[in-house]
Amino acid sequence: MPNHPSPPGSVFKRGPSRRALLTGTAAAAGLGLAGCGSVTGGLSDKTRVKQWNLLAGADGAIMTEMHGNFSAEHPDVELEATTFGWGTPFYTRLVMGASSGNAADIATIHLSRLKSVSPDTLLDAITIDELTEAGIDAADFPEKIWEKCFHEDRLYALPLDTHALVNYYNRDVCQQIGALNPDGTLIDTTGRESYFDLLRAAKEVTGEFGTSLDTFGGWRQFWAWYRQADGEMTFGDDDFEMDDDKALQAIETMYLMAEEGLCPTFSDGAQCAANFENGAAAFVQVGNWEINRFKLFGGDNPDWFSMTEMPAFFGNRRTQGDCHSFVLPHHNSWDPEVRKATVEYAAYMLKNSYRWGEGGGHTPSYLPVTESPEYQALQPNAEYSGVVENVQFDPDVWFSGSAARLFDETGSIFLQVYSLAMKPEEALELMKDRIHTLLALPNPVD
Amino acid sequence: MTVKTATPAAASAAMTRPPSAPRKKKSWTGLWFVLPFVAFYALFLIWPTFLGLYYSFTDKSLTGRPASWVGLDNWVEAFGDERAWNALVNTAEFTLYSTPPLVVLAIVFALLVNRARKLGWFLRMAFFAPFVVPVSVVTMIWMWIYQPEGGLLNHYLQLLGLQDASAPTVWYQGENGMAMWSVVITTVWWTVGFNFLLYLAALQTIDPSVYEASSIDGASWWRQLWHITLPLLNRTTAMVIVLQLIASLRIFDQMYIMTGGGPNRESEVAIHYIYIAGFEGYRIGYASALSYVLFILILIISIFQFRLFSRKES
Amino acid sequence: MTAAQATSVAATPTEPRTIRRRFRRPSVGAVIVYVAATLLAVFWLLPLLWALSTSFKTETEASLGQDIHWWPETWSVEGYKVLFERGDHFTWMLNSTIVSVIVTVLTLVLCVTAAYGFSRFDFPAKNVLFGAIIAGLMVPGQALIIPLFDLVNALHMGGTYWGLALPQVVAPVMVFILKRFFDAIPKDYEEAAKLDGAGHFRVLWNVILPMSGPIIAAVAIFTFIGSWNNYLWPLLVASDPSMMTLPVGLQVVAGGYGLFYAQNMAAAVLGAAPLLIVFLIFQKRIVEGVAGVGLK
Repeated sequence: MPNHPSPPGSVFKRGPSRRALLTGTAAAAGLGLAGCGSVTGGLSDKTRVKQWNLLAGADGAIMTEMHGNFSAEHPDVELEATTFGWGTPFYTRLVMGASSGNAADIATIHLSRLKSVSPDTLLDAITIDELTEAGIDAADFPEKIWEKCFHEDRLYALPLDTHALVNYYNRDVCQQIGALNPDGTLIDTTGRESYFDLLRAAKEVTGEFGTSLDTFGGWRQFWAWYRQADGEMTFGDDDFEMDDDKALQAIETMYLMAEEGLCPTFSDGAQCAANFENGAAAFVQVGNWEINRFKLFGGDNPDWFSMTEMPAFFGNRRTQGDCHSFVLPHHNSWDPEVRKATVEYAAYMLKNSYRWGEGGGHTPSYLPVTESPEYQALQPNAEYSGVVENVQFDPDVWFSGSAARLFDETGSIFLQVYSLAMKPEEALELMKDRIHTLLALPNPVD
Repeated sequence: MTVKTATPAAASAAMTRPPSAPRKKKSWTGLWFVLPFVAFYALFLIWPTFLGLYYSFTDKSLTGRPASWVGLDNWVEAFGDERAWNALVNTAEFTLYSTPPLVVLAIVFALLVNRARKLGWFLRMAFFAPFVVPVSVVTMIWMWIYQPEGGLLNHYLQLLGLQDASAPTVWYQGENGMAMWSVVITTVWWTVGFNFLLYLAALQTIDPSVYEASSIDGASWWRQLWHITLPLLNRTTAMVIVLQLIASLRIFDQMYIMTGGGPNRESEVAIHYIYIAGFEGYRIGYASALSYVLFILILIISIFQFRLFSRKES
Repeated sequence: MTAAQATSVAATPTEPRTIRRRFRRPSVGAVIVYVAATLLAVFWLLPLLWALSTSFKTETEASLGQDIHWWPETWSVEGYKVLFERGDHFTWMLNSTIVSVIVTVLTLVLCVTAAYGFSRFDFPAKNVLFGAIIAGLMVPGQALIIPLFDLVNALHMGGTYWGLALPQVVAPVMVFILKRFFDAIPKDYEEAAKLDGAGHFRVLWNVILPMSGPIIAAVAIFTFIGSWNNYLWPLLVASDPSMMTLPVGLQVVAGGYGLFYAQNMAAAVLGAAPLLIVFLIFQKRIVEGVAGVGLK
């Protein structure tokens, strides 16, 4: 029965007359539904732009600072930014808000998640005319990223940056173990074993770990190492292909590292960074976004650390990464003033993304910024500038992307690998099992 | 009704008269009193109940793309969904762990407060106060107390020599049931006050003469407790247990905030999985089918509750 | 009609029996009971006291890994100051108040009139309607979140105070409790009032309500607590922070509360304070209310 006659649910979604009737009845009951927004909002006559983001860490502070600058330069716009818990809580809020037409005017998402937030129904497309008016041009972005901003030939996202896992190192410890080049940069290693040797030496000095990493974000490390080995993951309608040997090799890397105590067996985002700060680890493989935190930690000595690309374990320095992007959640109706101010805000953030790169450690997507001599000379950002070439986006399927289900569900498996509660072979089987389960789910987006 | 012959004398006479026989005249007047509630009730309870049932036969998505009828697919999937069963088992586990302390501690507190009447005000405040604290505040405080390194709980456990400082217990993020137990402890602290007040009220309705008779017989306090007090509290206990079962089946807030269902779904409970399926996974249709499974379970327990209530009335 | 008359007439089971005891020298058993009770009560309050103490510390003293002091070494209101500067805490508190007041007032109005109607009148379909409401006692609200979310959005109430409040108003259990209470009130008083020419609403207002003080208070207080502490529904409906209630805002908005424990605990203290104060003021009523609502 594909078209069930007169389904009760359609009253609301498809039957405007009955919907109007219901709303009318409620309104007639004296409830005055429409005019019941927040008591605290709308007190000023400024154009109010509401922004939602998922940046709570060090880069969140940079974003707040940039928002301050924006507000100072746009006295007629009242920017209301809110930070939600990173990952699923944020995306759930975005989708639930947009599905009821109550989301913010603009939101940050990971570009890898564009498909998963159902742009057709939950986002509003951005027109090229609007962008031109705000002084932004399609040619201002790397083509590889710009293409990802489209869905069915409509532009839905404006890419702010590229970010990726990088490798931070403690200069002092690296000096002690002779791991620095004469110019103070980290020596190159080839192969997993030679990097592990480095970690062993570092562990001697720190007395605790060689490197720190986020054992809750195992997908990132997995994808980096799997892609270094040229592993592919492709999805069909009800099956998928992956290279078991290469996947096992990546998972074994986690297990071996944890087993030998070269990395912690358990550390969440905060502990992961803290391990590096308090000297428990000489390295940390984490996103470039911690740069500001580590600089601040150094106080008078912001150069206590530096950073470089991920070490080459399997022949190259590929890494996992993504792009923070702006999208416009679906509105039942846009106030033209608000819409204009919203696009203006996005344009401002792109044009001023030098600060985003400097403070947040991200590589801006806006080429006029990254191509500027000022940015080219920026340290230590220049030392890992290769990540833009080496960054590997998540596989293309609706449950993939930063903090999506593939990320979460494999992450909880890798968490157990790090804690040595699960053997790599077991983890691989479980991982494939979970992916099959995800594939078996009806796709709720398309 | 329209006769106006009332005098104050008649009114005062009315007070001494025994309750008059019910005057049952069918009229529409009563309906007007009932109608506003019934309208709300129909809109926000009856209608969604049927709407949910309808959705459970569709592939309706949160994204708002057109839905189509899928027959029993969602139901078949729900009954074969390991994750759903896992969530139900976890819910049952939580119920099993949390109910005994919530009953026993409530009785202990009530017995103490009933005897220590001069401190009644303070004791009632101390035991019941957590109940009025919002769940986010409760979890904020406890998640901090539970911090593995430097948290209050581990600090004292180490001080008492119950824990090795080099291997601090990981509480609400911990494996092997620690996450579940952490939430149980927090829940007991938070909600035992309500049960405590129920018991206290029940204790205070016990006629003291039942004890006087037995103290003449020289019965010890302990014997009095087992042979008089607890049997008299049976009915309250039955009610507390039923209320507790229903509340536990609905567990979501604390678990969602503290453990997020982790580690590895060890503490993912029924409502949380419905939330995951419907809102995080966008599958309104499937989540509706899952809701109905839970709904039926709660219904069964509620029927027990209802029988309990009606037995009271008779 | 005095309150004393009302309660004696209504014969409410909420009235605890007063027990007169002869004065006795405190026995050893009594001392043990008092000591044990006091220790347990203090122990039970420790988490709240710890939050209170931390909220007045400096961030440095409050942070993990410091020695544990129950009495702050340096008193600081920095945590509270930050909250006042950010302001959203008070927006949420205001939202919570608005929503809880709407829910409480509407629940009282709807449930009292409905209970009165069911208690005092015979009308067509009465048994069917009452049966339907009794059946509603068994419907778990949480199992309805999915269709309710959709319904509220379809009514364009998503992200409004009405959307937050109205679905919380339907409380069949309150109708049930109130009806039973009203049933126990003898009809003589109303008949006297009616002979004086009072209409049904006047009777309800002037006769029934004054006699129902304790039960109305219990219903009001529990509705208010329930609504104030509701987490799941506002989590779903209040998308924007400006519309969030306190429990949701505190938990959902990540504004750097994370690692700042003094600030965090200041937010906890301010979040717990309103209802704790309400509880301290109305303690007697609440205790009686639990007995009344729970035992009936």
